[in-house]
Amino acid sequence: MHKLRSVRDMPKLDKPFVSLREIVGEAYVTQDPDKLRAYAIDGKKPKAVVTPGTTDEISKIVAYANQEHRAIVPRGNGTKMEMGGIPKKVDIVLSTGRLNRIKDRDCENLTLSAESGLTLGEAQRDLMKVGKGYFLPLDPPFTDNATLGGIVATNSSGPRRLLYGTARDMIIGAKAVFPNGDVVVSGGKTVKNVSGYDMCKLLIGSYGTLGILCEMTFKLLPLPEKEATLGLSFAEIEDADGFVRELRGSPLIPSSIEILNGIAVQKMRYPIFMPPNGNYLVVVGLDGVPESIDRQVSEMSEIGKKHGTLEAVTLNSEKHRAFWVAFRDFSSGLTEEYPNVISMKSNFLISKCGEILGSCEKSAQGLGMDCAFLSHAGNGIMYSYVLAGKNFRSKADSFVALIEKLTAEAVKHGGGLVVESSPLSIKKKVDVWGQSRSDCVIARRLKEQIDPAGILNVGRFVGGI
Amino acid sequence: MEREKLIEEMAKMVGKENVLSSETDLLLYGYDASLFRGRPDCIVLPGSTEEVSKIVRFAHETGVHVVGRGSGTNLSGGTIPTKGGIVIHFSRMNKILEIDIENQRAVVEPAVFTLALKNALARYGYVYQPDPASEKVSTFGGNFGENSGGPHCLKYGVTTNHILGAEVVLYNGEVIQVGGKALDNPGYDLTGILVGSEGTLGIATKLILRIMPKPEAVKTMLAIYNSLEDAGKTVSAIIGDGIVPATLEMLDKLTIKAVEESIHAGFPLDAEAVLIIELDGLKDGMERLAERIMEICRKNNVREVKAAKNEAERTQLWAGRKGAFGAVARLRPNYLVCDGTVPRTKLPEVLTKVMEVGKKYDLSIANVFHAGDGNLHPLILFDERNEMELKKVHLAGSEIMKLCADAGGTISGEHGIGTEKKKEMLFVFTPRDVNAMKKVKRAFDPEDVYNPGKVLPEVEA
Repeated sequence: MHKLRSVRDMPKLDKPFVSLREIVGEAYVTQDPDKLRAYAIDGKKPKAVVTPGTTDEISKIVAYANQEHRAIVPRGNGTKMEMGGIPKKVDIVLSTGRLNRIKDRDCENLTLSAESGLTLGEAQRDLMKVGKGYFLPLDPPFTDNATLGGIVATNSSGPRRLLYGTARDMIIGAKAVFPNGDVVVSGGKTVKNVSGYDMCKLLIGSYGTLGILCEMTFKLLPLPEKEATLGLSFAEIEDADGFVRELRGSPLIPSSIEILNGIAVQKMRYPIFMPPNGNYLVVVGLDGVPESIDRQVSEMSEIGKKHGTLEAVTLNSEKHRAFWVAFRDFSSGLTEEYPNVISMKSNFLISKCGEILGSCEKSAQGLGMDCAFLSHAGNGIMYSYVLAGKNFRSKADSFVALIEKLTAEAVKHGGGLVVESSPLSIKKKVDVWGQSRSDCVIARRLKEQIDPAGILNVGRFVGGI
Repeated sequence: MEREKLIEEMAKMVGKENVLSSETDLLLYGYDASLFRGRPDCIVLPGSTEEVSKIVRFAHETGVHVVGRGSGTNLSGGTIPTKGGIVIHFSRMNKILEIDIENQRAVVEPAVFTLALKNALARYGYVYQPDPASEKVSTFGGNFGENSGGPHCLKYGVTTNHILGAEVVLYNGEVIQVGGKALDNPGYDLTGILVGSEGTLGIATKLILRIMPKPEAVKTMLAIYNSLEDAGKTVSAIIGDGIVPATLEMLDKLTIKAVEESIHAGFPLDAEAVLIIELDGLKDGMERLAERIMEICRKNNVREVKAAKNEAERTQLWAGRKGAFGAVARLRPNYLVCDGTVPRTKLPEVLTKVMEVGKKYDLSIANVFHAGDGNLHPLILFDERNEMELKKVHLAGSEIMKLCADAGGTISGEHGIGTEKKKEMLFVFTPRDVNAMKKVKRAFDPEDVYNPGKVLPEVEA
């Protein structure tokens, strides 16, 4: 009786999703409107959240959605749901939460195959315990929460990319469900592989618009024998830049070089020392054998002196680790204090990092805005955070003006700017992906070929794909 | 389209002197370093992106196929004009356009030789890391098309990790820019999919490369073995111990013999195998790491292990490795290079099986390989005039690829699929995987203008 009544009471909306229940089981489909609210993207609430347990189930869900023209948004731990354009349609949120297994940990071969819902943190903890210890050389934001699938789909990276590269340099295999429901395998578990097209590259950074990542194989490295951090403070951006330039051209091999402005240092959830007359902090990460680290710390400190370092600090072991976790999680820390923060990422020629930081900071000051800047100074990438307060609505036009100024700076130096997160009202006024490029013609055709019905993460990618 | 008319039209675009069409030319551009043969309708030597674009647009409009070609060193029949048409030979587009030290980039035209750029960079103390054995003549356009490897790729990654962008001519003559000097441009990683697509998706007319400061120190060691298996085990043990050297190369007895006869690299003739192990980076701690490696060699029954004492000794060792293919070519009139790659731990086991395949077909196999990457290069020696033997060579080659695939590996680590290994693609991919790749081909080249009949096998949709 009870069962009968519940079927009769089921809202009409439920009907199409009967198949989802059949695929994954009752417990793994959510349609409770209260719960769905938490899954809304830019205000658009899904009609169902489904949490499959296997690649095969994902394949069936996607095939069904393709047939019914239902829009799917893949989701890991939801750390980056505000990224990308406003979705055109959100029917089903597909959570990879249950796909969190390590499939093949082969440290002797220096490879790891794992499912997309596993967090990078869990993977690292597991690898650390094997033999002398191994790691997956990625250090993107959201240290504890980011899943492998989310990191790869958004091509998320961190400071150590200077030495180790990004996902494209370490993924050697992937299993993904394509929009027609096909389970497509690319690459394998060999570190060299040119058999067929390198489909992994297409999936990395594609924001789930071409396929849903289910499993990936990564190259691993043994943990370095020693790690340390050197922090040097400077009064002027020109001094900081001078130091960084000399370091980049030297044979020294830092794993990361970051420049932070004063506000970034203040807001960092790690109290790294900067003297009162310090305005910029350069932080250098070092990984390697102890002999090389000791020498690099001393040589870099010498180079720093030449460029007017105010104060030098060295962080070892626990302090070193704690600093970099705080660095990686800078944006999440900031969001707690400033829920309306606008986060941006610009790319440009490596040599311009100091100049751009300086001029962007001036632009922000000119508009009376507090901005934190963190620059991967060895890679030509800068993250900017506008500390928008509660009154952001009244200032919306100034924010847009700042975004335009920062964009122009990056474009002038061979790159562009992407708005990674912002209040919806700002998102509506700008193209979060920046200027379109000549390759968008191919991008669109790829999407049409691979996802002709337009069901995967529609509208959130570059060019409205 | 009529051949005479085609030649005439091409001459209008690039000048008569830049169109080749004699019988000799058609023969010369009909083959490459593989065993395959084809016949183009004509060969065109453009001097600029605009000319390439015009040629391709014309070919597209008139239904003529186009195959791009550099030095023809590829080992899988990638440059064979299997369906005739135009071969675009890039030899005139051979300028280093820019060496941008402060941004750590170089911009080159497609026919620049790998070594030519390296030599140009040396004066700035900079390097381009990938080092295909054919680097003296291998072009960047070819490296881009084939995603070439080389010994130093163990530490630094292959071509795809060092190409950051390109100017690409699409199937209809349209010119686009993918990637760039700056990293992380938003959008699909089209550079990533184009690298290694063997000229089937587009033709690169300009390439943007990553360059880096030269490592301050390098240490090269030679380890000599009385058993191939011990050498293989050493390789697995070094990687397993958490050491990733810059290179970890292996040569077997037959190769050593060939190398010593032609190059005199100093490998002992009675050894069963040698390893060339190189470390690079900061000088600090390098001695200690080298000692750790030598200790692993000793644990695995090395006969002798020694370090190159100076740059001359190092150069000599590398001449032996880089000249290995050429040296082996002196043993018999022909050889087929297999390019199977396996997870590194499977190396000793797969090596034994490869030698069994040789015995089964009564064929001599010389082995030269990027052992640290698990990338084998068994060279099957034969005489192509002997039809029986040729048949056996193809069977043995396919069998070696199968056993690599069965060991969890793949059929090509760095030479590509081309014409040669299309059938074997199904050893490692399902028809679904291949169909996904076909969608990529259709997005880039819906009318199959570029390099037809390569890479992707026929499968049911």
